[in-house]
Amino acid sequence: MDELIYTLKQQIIEALNLEDMKPEDIDENASLFGEGLGLDSIDALELIVLMEKNYGIKLKDPSQGKEIFKSVAVMADYISKNRTK
Amino acid sequence: MLKVYINTETVTVNDKPLVHKEKGAALLTELYRNHIGDYPKFFKMDTLSKLGFVASELLLQAEGKPRFEPREDRAVIFFNKSASLQADTAYQATIQDAENFFPSPAAFVYTLPNIVTGEIAIRNKYFGETSFIVLPDRDPQIMARQLQNAFLDPTTNSILGGWLDCTDENHFEAEIYLLNKS
Repeated sequence: MDELIYTLKQQIIEALNLEDMKPEDIDENASLFGEGLGLDSIDALELIVLMEKNYGIKLKDPSQGKEIFKSVAVMADYISKNRTK
Repeated sequence: MLKVYINTETVTVNDKPLVHKEKGAALLTELYRNHIGDYPKFFKMDTLSKLGFVASELLLQAEGKPRFEPREDRAVIFFNKSASLQADTAYQATIQDAENFFPSPAAFVYTLPNIVTGEIAIRNKYFGETSFIVLPDRDPQIMARQLQNAFLDPTTNSILGGWLDCTDENHFEAEIYLLNKS
């Protein structure tokens, strides 16, 4: 799980152009939106694309994202249970 | 008239050269880091928006007036001939391959040239007119006429505007200025 969390952090930094940020700077338990990384709605859509592109996970209901994208740790847990690649 | 000029190798503020080391897209990032630096959304922008954002910041810093106070009397009006070509190309790359078809929302949102006028208006709390006019070629007469016309409404007293063109990360040019009604 630790390896997946680290990889996911790298993918998020690249996909969302989080300039000057390293995986170590992201607290895997911190909120991705609002107070945490301060992501916006376009970033949420980009995370949906990231999940499909890298892990073969298609979110049928975008509102699922609210739960799945709570933190990197929650996201990694969901990916580990649902990934198809 | 306050004026900022930026191309891939040159930056001037009121005709005075601004010292820099980089060229092309790296130049815009260098200008952001050295002269702005408090707006991480910059890194998510397409090159046209980065160009407009950096040029407008240098222009408004040169103006030297209090920033970020809501106002309706300043319009943002730009012209170019390449519309949002660089962003269009970047987005197209995400949908080109049927086997690797992942449309990027972050790329898609910049596939209109007038997004840069919104970026600048949001940053500065401008609630006046915003326009982006795409011309067959740079035409000073048409541009002057359009800018004069913008002053005809009872609200607009000032315009942040000018030429803002970008074909890719290494080919761009901004010549923007502040105009006042008087």
